[in-house]
Amino acid sequence: MPKVTVDGTEIEVPAGATVLQACELAGKEIPRFCYHERLSIAGNCRMCLVEVSPGPPKPQASCALPATEGQVIKTDSPMVKKAREGVMEFLLINHPLDCPICDQGGECDLQDQSVAYGKGASRYDENKRAVTEKYMGPIVKTAMTRCIQCTRCVRFAEEVAGVEEIGAIYRGENMQITSYLERAVSSELSGNVVDLCPVGALTSKPYAFIARPWELKKTPAIDVMDAVGTNIRLDSRGRQVLRALPRINEDVNEEWASDKTRHAVDGLIHRRLDRPYVRKGGKLVAVDWAEALKVVADAAGKAGKSVAAIAGDMVDCETMFAARQLVKSLGGTMFEGRQTGLAYDTSSLSAVNFNTGIANVENADVILLVGSDLRREAPLVNTRVQKAVRKKGAKVFAIGPETDLTYKAEFLGTNLGILGKLPKAVSDAFKAAERPVIIVGGGALRYEGAHGAALAFAKKFKLVRKDWNGFNVLHFAAARMGGLMLGYAYDGGIKALAAKKPKLAFFLGADEVDYSLFADTFKVYVGHHGDAGAHAADVILPGAAYSEKPGTYVNLEGRVQRGDRAVFAPGDAREDWSIFRALSDLTGKTLPFDSFDALRVEMAKAVPALGREGLADYGWDVPALPEKASADIADYPIKDFYLTNAICRASETMQRCSSELVKGEEWLEAAE
Amino acid sequence: MTFTQWFQSWGGEAFGWFLATTVLILMIALPLMLAVAMIIYADRKIWAAMALRRGPNVVGPLGLLQSFADGLKVMLQETIIPSAANRGLFLLAPIITFTVALIVWAVIPFGPGMVLADINVGLLYLLAASSLGVYGVIISGWASNSKYPFYSALRAAAQMVSYEVSIGFVLISVVLWADSFNLSKIVLEQQGHVLGFFNGFGFNPLLFPMAVVFLISALAETARAPFDLTEAESELVAGYQTEYSSMSFALFWLGEYANVILMCGLNAILFWGGWLPPVDWAPLYAVPGIIWFFSKILIFFFIFSWIKATVPRFRYDQLMRLGWKVFLPLSLIWVFLVSGYLMLTRYGA
Amino acid sequence: MSVIAHYIKTFTLWEFVKAHWLTLKYFFKPKATINYPYERNPLSPRFRGEHALRRYPNGEERCIACKLCEAVCPALAITIEAEPRDDGSRRTTRYDIDMTKCIYCGFCQEACPVDAIVEGPNLEFSTETREELLYDKAKLLANGDRWERAIAANIAADAPYR
Repeated sequence: MPKVTVDGTEIEVPAGATVLQACELAGKEIPRFCYHERLSIAGNCRMCLVEVSPGPPKPQASCALPATEGQVIKTDSPMVKKAREGVMEFLLINHPLDCPICDQGGECDLQDQSVAYGKGASRYDENKRAVTEKYMGPIVKTAMTRCIQCTRCVRFAEEVAGVEEIGAIYRGENMQITSYLERAVSSELSGNVVDLCPVGALTSKPYAFIARPWELKKTPAIDVMDAVGTNIRLDSRGRQVLRALPRINEDVNEEWASDKTRHAVDGLIHRRLDRPYVRKGGKLVAVDWAEALKVVADAAGKAGKSVAAIAGDMVDCETMFAARQLVKSLGGTMFEGRQTGLAYDTSSLSAVNFNTGIANVENADVILLVGSDLRREAPLVNTRVQKAVRKKGAKVFAIGPETDLTYKAEFLGTNLGILGKLPKAVSDAFKAAERPVIIVGGGALRYEGAHGAALAFAKKFKLVRKDWNGFNVLHFAAARMGGLMLGYAYDGGIKALAAKKPKLAFFLGADEVDYSLFADTFKVYVGHHGDAGAHAADVILPGAAYSEKPGTYVNLEGRVQRGDRAVFAPGDAREDWSIFRALSDLTGKTLPFDSFDALRVEMAKAVPALGREGLADYGWDVPALPEKASADIADYPIKDFYLTNAICRASETMQRCSSELVKGEEWLEAAE
Repeated sequence: MTFTQWFQSWGGEAFGWFLATTVLILMIALPLMLAVAMIIYADRKIWAAMALRRGPNVVGPLGLLQSFADGLKVMLQETIIPSAANRGLFLLAPIITFTVALIVWAVIPFGPGMVLADINVGLLYLLAASSLGVYGVIISGWASNSKYPFYSALRAAAQMVSYEVSIGFVLISVVLWADSFNLSKIVLEQQGHVLGFFNGFGFNPLLFPMAVVFLISALAETARAPFDLTEAESELVAGYQTEYSSMSFALFWLGEYANVILMCGLNAILFWGGWLPPVDWAPLYAVPGIIWFFSKILIFFFIFSWIKATVPRFRYDQLMRLGWKVFLPLSLIWVFLVSGYLMLTRYGA
Repeated sequence: MSVIAHYIKTFTLWEFVKAHWLTLKYFFKPKATINYPYERNPLSPRFRGEHALRRYPNGEERCIACKLCEAVCPALAITIEAEPRDDGSRRTTRYDIDMTKCIYCGFCQEACPVDAIVEGPNLEFSTETREELLYDKAKLLANGDRWERAIAANIAADAPYR
């Protein structure tokens, strides 16, 4: 713990800290462009110069200088001021003055820091350098003339995204950042370089020229594109969400977000259900709320107790709770959220939870993936594994079809039987491991015995020890854990539920369900997009998307998180819980909540864990399940990362990404 | 053969009289309306000139047709009746104001014998009729069912009542001297009134202060500046006219300005010799009396406008103080003085 | 004595007489106003009248949708929407000024980095309906085309002082 003096105040800093971090701990702001907390240190922008003694009598780059005992650091001396002004002037030599047409304007580090630390005038009269644009895919728009060669994007692609597709060529003034072959960057996280770029060289292509940061209303929300529960900020103007940016949450997403999280928001204005529909003579006819609700209430009257509720992948806990209370008030007992037919045992939530925790995966030393395409199913968990591999040298084994996970993984085969008789090298690794981890994905869980075999594996190698739980099930639907907590799981899965032939079923934004199973059911779709569910429904009750309602979501590690409403739902659409509340009036069994807050109170009474934000405690009490598994894992559930739900499918950007990055790859392979 | 007799000669006694009177009324009312239009124009021009502005100068030559353009405009506008207003009274009010402003002209002598109704209590009739005018204001203020018109109506009632008292005493001193209520007779009494040369009670040092009091009271009676508290826009929006629009508004305007002209005429008749030339010098009688009368009206109207352009609006308490504590005692004293003087001179001790 | 003078002044309405003498003098003075529609005062090159969106001499519109005018507008009268044009350049798809909100402060033209939005010399743009005062991009560009010569001359005249 070295002690240093920053501008006259003595401060103790952690061992291994840099001078820049020491200054930050002392509350001094150090301007920087290339330095980033989550990336390796490059030290090439020179903006963080400070005066340090003992040392050479010149300013030093604080980001790359370790803090040592007895250092005296000055951050506001005339030398530092002059050095910063000089660096700023150099940086601006080749930076174009096109702030008015630059999308970074208003949130630009270079802009802000030149105001704060620059000289205000330039002595440079010669022509500025110009650099040709580089193609980086449908997400990232480039204007490389603006680049100041901080190489944050290069380091991000290599260290976090794990795809070495961005790099620098040439040197000195001629240095250029490029994607080498000018092909789209094949990363699910490419959008993050836009945030990282301190200038306007890399900007968001779908958001190009749309808005300025100062026009936007910023709302904290929770992402529903996958089960990670990325903390996001929805930037909206008027009634439209224009972009989604990650919020910092070290336990969940650090400060990253997947491209789907960021760019599916343009799907929120397309193909929306904005008024109720009722199927009349085989065709859906637009009606008003009163009529639609009456039709549903009449159907409920006829259905008696044969009522079911099926939750989709993106619904919030409040919606599921309201639907559950309505169905229960009618006497129904059938609830299911696993749309695609998974039927794993849910008698203990700890057996289907991501027990290690997202952040903790970084610390694992041996990891076994079972039927889990981590990169597509949870890109931000994948970055943690990537970090474990990269920084701690963790070994990764996988059972399932071979796929590119961005780091080195040893594929052991596709047969689940391997779990029971691992190759010696692998079992030795697990025996020797201090923090072993198994991650079981949906690709495996659909097979008989896979769940039990994985639990047996955990028992055999003592994955659950003091302060460490290495057994993980990886979900990829934002509603899943919340749904399981609210009892949205039917014994035997959705097929068993359909076999009971419910007379009335509520589908809460469920678009992945095989609706042919429900041919004789009166289907009420409560959701926001005109997708498969709306297509099959007998009555459509338009609800709100995740950006249009406050909601509680539980991520794959059981973390209860809450988001706010950014905009209002379009047209006649309402917040989903109020639909069920209104229906309950017509069925004569009024639900006991008149407001969203009252609903939350009721929900917290029913499921106390949902009343508190933060990790829910499921304990560790796994059931004994059949351990025999011998099926081959044929494929992974997510075929197309960019088109996994109704919002994505309605999004132009996601469609473009899909056709270029997923189908394009396939075409390229086919051509070869 | 008089005008009426000519009509009766072919139309019969009663019908001829009716026809003649109708024509005579029109002969007064229509030119009066025209005069109002021009006087509004003059008012604006004078006011503008004293403020170094130009006033209306676009419609017609020198802007002479401005009032007609305004009239056309208000006629084409929609009459808006507030939903909470008392509909009947709301519409009745401007009609009362306008009608009362017209009927008083019946007793005004424009020249020798040129009077519609040469009744012997003309002045009394005049006083009675002009007192009725305040009803228009009060009714409009009440019927509008709106707070500013209502305040304005209250102010108007108090103001007009206050000044009518002093006007009454001023008139009594004139009547005492003229020995008649008939306006024509009052005018004729003024011939050579002072030193056998000056035509007009106003030249009489004893009556001159009364002429001034009457002039000022006339301003208050017609609610002209500086006594236009009923429509003090800084406090009451537009006073009792706030809710009025279109023709109902125009009727108020017409009535008001007709009243202003009437007061100018009364000033001329009561103190400055009516249709008589200012001095009793034979060649001046070559000019017709009506010309003298109209020029006196114009001079007084100029004075009215002049005052409007010069004096700022009185505060309401100042107005009341002036009426009750200055004019009332003053005019009362003058009635004593005048009657005392007349007892001493004309009627013997 | 002064009391007597005061009473004399009061009863002769002396101050009123003085005031009327003053106004009478003004009555005959030359008028301060001009005969407006037929005579006009000279306008400063800095006069801030009706808005216009200018073009470059080659016909390309100047506005680059930087939204600085929208940001600086104290009356929130300007609404801009933008997206990339087919050639990739940054252009507005919507540029509305609510002239009934505008307070003619001129901040928009001060903020504009490309002299696109300007307040021209036109001050006679009253309309018969309110809707006509909600200017859209087409109207503003048309204004720019109509007033370009005067606007350019004004900007040139004011340039030495900037």
